[in-house]
Amino acid sequence: MAVAAAAARVWGSSRGLGRVGLLLRRPGARGLARSHPQRQQQHFSSLDDKPQFPGASAEFIDKLEFIQPNVISGIPIYRVMDRQGQIINPSEDPHLPQEKVLKFYKTMTLLNTMDRILYESQRQGRISFYMTNYGEEGTHVGSAAALDSTDLVFGQYREAGVLMYRNYPLELFMAQCYGNVSDLGKGRQMPVHYGCRERHFVTISSPLATQIPQAVGAAYAAKRANANRVIICYFGEGAASEGDAHAGFNFAATLECPIIFFCRNNGYAISTPTSEQYRGDGIAARGPGYGILSIRVDGNDVFAVYNATKEARRRAVAENQPFLIEAMTYRIGHHSTSDDSSAYRSVDEVNYWDKQDHPISRLRHYLQSCGWWDDEQEKAWRKQSRKKVMEAFEQAERKLKPSPSLLFSDVYQEMPTQLRKQQESLARHLQAYGEHYPLDHFEK
Amino acid sequence: MAATAVTVGRLLRLRAAGAEGHWRRLRGAGLLRGFLQPASADGDAAQRRQVAHFTFQPDPEPLEYGQTQKMNLFQAVTSALDNSLAKDPTAVIFGEDVAFGGVFRCTVGLRDKYGKDRVFNTPLCEQGIVGFGIGIAVTGATAIAEIQFADYIFPAFDQIVNEAAKYRYRSGDLFNCGSLTIRSPWGCVGHGALYHSQSPEAFFAHCPGIKVVIPRSPFQAKGLLLSCIEDKNPCIFFEPKILYRAAVEQVPIEPYNIPLSQAEVIQEGSDVTLVAWGTQVHVVREVASMAHEKLGVSCEVIDLRTIIPWDVDTVCKFPNQGWNPCPLPWKCGVLTTGPPGKSPGCSYLKSVIKTGRLLVSHEAPLTGGFASEISSTVQCPWRVCV
Repeated sequence: MAVAAAAARVWGSSRGLGRVGLLLRRPGARGLARSHPQRQQQHFSSLDDKPQFPGASAEFIDKLEFIQPNVISGIPIYRVMDRQGQIINPSEDPHLPQEKVLKFYKTMTLLNTMDRILYESQRQGRISFYMTNYGEEGTHVGSAAALDSTDLVFGQYREAGVLMYRNYPLELFMAQCYGNVSDLGKGRQMPVHYGCRERHFVTISSPLATQIPQAVGAAYAAKRANANRVIICYFGEGAASEGDAHAGFNFAATLECPIIFFCRNNGYAISTPTSEQYRGDGIAARGPGYGILSIRVDGNDVFAVYNATKEARRRAVAENQPFLIEAMTYRIGHHSTSDDSSAYRSVDEVNYWDKQDHPISRLRHYLQSCGWWDDEQEKAWRKQSRKKVMEAFEQAERKLKPSPSLLFSDVYQEMPTQLRKQQESLARHLQAYGEHYPLDHFEK
Repeated sequence: MAATAVTVGRLLRLRAAGAEGHWRRLRGAGLLRGFLQPASADGDAAQRRQVAHFTFQPDPEPLEYGQTQKMNLFQAVTSALDNSLAKDPTAVIFGEDVAFGGVFRCTVGLRDKYGKDRVFNTPLCEQGIVGFGIGIAVTGATAIAEIQFADYIFPAFDQIVNEAAKYRYRSGDLFNCGSLTIRSPWGCVGHGALYHSQSPEAFFAHCPGIKVVIPRSPFQAKGLLLSCIEDKNPCIFFEPKILYRAAVEQVPIEPYNIPLSQAEVIQEGSDVTLVAWGTQVHVVREVASMAHEKLGVSCEVIDLRTIIPWDVDTVCKFPNQGWNPCPLPWKCGVLTTGPPGKSPGCSYLKSVIKTGRLLVSHEAPLTGGFASEISSTVQCPWRVCV
C-alpha cells in the first residue's frame, strides 16, 4: 500500500507550480508511525541536525524565501486531439473501437438536442426550470466511458451526459423535468435533479459541494467491502470553493479512499468568473496540497478526458488513493433558464468556444477523418435524435403529476403519526376546497 | 490546574501544554477525573467550586435482558458500540480522537478489538465527518459518527438538514442514509461555559427526516443508542456529558433496544405533569419529591427521550373513554363524524388531561426551545387541522 516516496518531488522544495507536483504519500505524516507520544520524547544527539517535527518531512533552509505561487505558467493541460480533432501524439490515442467512439458522439449530440428542446420548453412555460450542458458534453462522456457501469457517481447538476452514457432513457429525463408520475424521484425536486439507483447515479441535490465528502465516505465503504469499485465525484470550479470540498479532499487523502474528484472548470459560477473565484492555479494545484495525485486535462477533448479517467480509475482502485482531475472547459450556455449571461460576458467570447473549440465538433472531425462518419449520417442522425427527443417530450407532456399524498411519504422510512395526521388533514382540505386546486393534473 | 488543563484536547485549548510530560502520565490514568467532578459523589468539591448540583437517580436493575454489570454512561455507550460492531460487520466508528478512546472514553478498546479500518480518527472537520458518514450510509454500511461536543455540530448543520434529513425524500426513496447515527456530548457540565455546554436539540427539531434522541441514564443510553444505530433513518444521539461519570447503574451486557419516539412516564401523579429530557429529568424528579414533601403536590414525571418525532400520544392522546366535543369555535369537520376516540385529526392530552397542568423544563434557551413545541401542541391540539 505504501507508495515509495523516493521518486516524489517534495512539494515544498520545488519552486512554484511549473512542474506537475505529483506528491506521493509522504512518510512524514504517517510512515514514521507517530502513534506513540513517547517517540517525541526521544533524546537525540545534538550532532543530528535534521528536523524532527512530526508535522512535515523536509530539510532546513537558512534563506528566507516565500514560495511564489505560479499562476502565469500553471499546471499543463493534457490533450490528445488538437482543436481540429487530429491526434497529436499517436501513442496517446486510446484506439477505441468505432462502435465506442460513435457512442461517444451520439451521446453528446443527443444530449445537446435534448438540452435545446427542454430549454425551449421552459421558455414556453411547460417546465419550471432547466440547466443545459452546452460545451461540457466531452467531460461527461469521456469520464463516464472510462468507468465501470457499477462505479458510483456523485454529481453536482451539470453531468446529465454521464447518465445518458449509461443509457438512462429520454423518458426518465423528461419525467424528472416535468415532475410527472413516471419520475423515479416522485416529482419532489426541481428539474435536472436526476437520480438512478440502477445506474449507480446518486440523486442530485441543489446545495453545492455537499456531495464531495459524501462521495469520499462511499469510497471508504467500497474499499472496506473490497468492491473493486471507484467512486467518481463531479463538481464545478465554483463549488470547489466550498468548505465541503476542502473537507472531502482532506478526508480522501488521510483515509486513503478510492475516489476520483472530477472538477469541471468551465470558467464561470453563474456570473462569477474564475478570476473572482480563486487566485491560485485553478483546482488541480490544490490537489498536491492535500497529498492527492492531480492532473489538468482539456475537457473539450473527449479522448484526453477518457485517458485520464481510465488511468485514475485503475490506480485509485489498485492503490486506494484519491485522484483529482481538473477538466478545463467552457460553459457555452447560460447558468440556467433563470440566467442571461449576456449580462456579464460578451457574445464574442461565447461564440469562440461554440465555433472554435467544441467537444462535439472536435470528435466529429476525428470521426470523419477515420471514415466513420459523414455529412449524410450527420443529417440522418440529427433528424432521428430530434424525433426521439420530441416523442419522449410529447409523452411527458401528457402524463399526470404524482398524487399529493406523496408529499408526506419517504420523509422517514416509516410515516410517523404527526406526518400521517398532516397528510390526512390535507386530504380533508382538498375534499372540502378541491375546486381551488388543479387536481385534474394530479394522480389521485 | 495543569492536571486538568491537558485532559480534554479541545476543551481547554491548551495543546501547547500537552508538550509537558504531564500529558503522557495522565493519558493512561483516568485523565478525566479532574475534569468531570461528579458532584453527587463529591459534594465538598462542588461546594468548594460553588456550583449547583443535581443528584442522579438510578433506575432499578433491569431483569429482563440478562446479566447486568455496573456501568456509568460512557461505559454504557462503549458497550452499545461494542455490541453494534460485533453484530454488524459493516459498522464503523469515526470522528475526532475516537481512535485512542475518545475525549470522554466512549470508544476505549474498540480500535484494538475491531481494527483500525473500523474505528478511526478523521481530520478536524465536522462538516466532513457528517458528510463522510452520509456517504458510508448511502452504500448501505453502518456509519457511527462522533461530533466531539454538540456545540461544534453547527458546521455540519447543512449536511444534516439539507442532505441527511432529505436524502430519502428527495430521491423518491431511491437512496437513503438511514444507517447513519451521529453521537455527541450534550448539555451543561458546570464549567463548560458557552462552548462546551450547549443543548442544540431545538435546532434539529425543526427538521423532518432525522431523529433526535437524548437518554437520561446509562441503561437508557445503551438501549436508545442501539435503537438509533439500527433505525432506518439518520439519528442524532445526544449524550449528557455530566452523566458520563456521574450516572452509574446496572446495565445489561447483551444488546437490547429501547423504542424511539416513546416517552416514559417514570413517576405517576395527579396534580401536574413535568416533562424533561436528559440531565434535567433528575432535576425534575427532585422537584417532584420536593413538591410532594413541601406542597403536598402529586407530580407525574415524563422523560421525553425522543425529541423528534416526539411522543405526542403520551402527553397528548385521544381519550379512550368519554367523548369531548371540540370547544373551538370553528369546525374542523372531524369531531362531528366518526366514533369517539377514533377521529384522526383530534388529540387530547392524556397526561395533561389527567393532571390539567404542564411544566416543561430544559437547559436550552427558553425562546424557541423545544418546550415551546410541546406547549403549543398541548394548548392547541387542533393545530393540525387549522
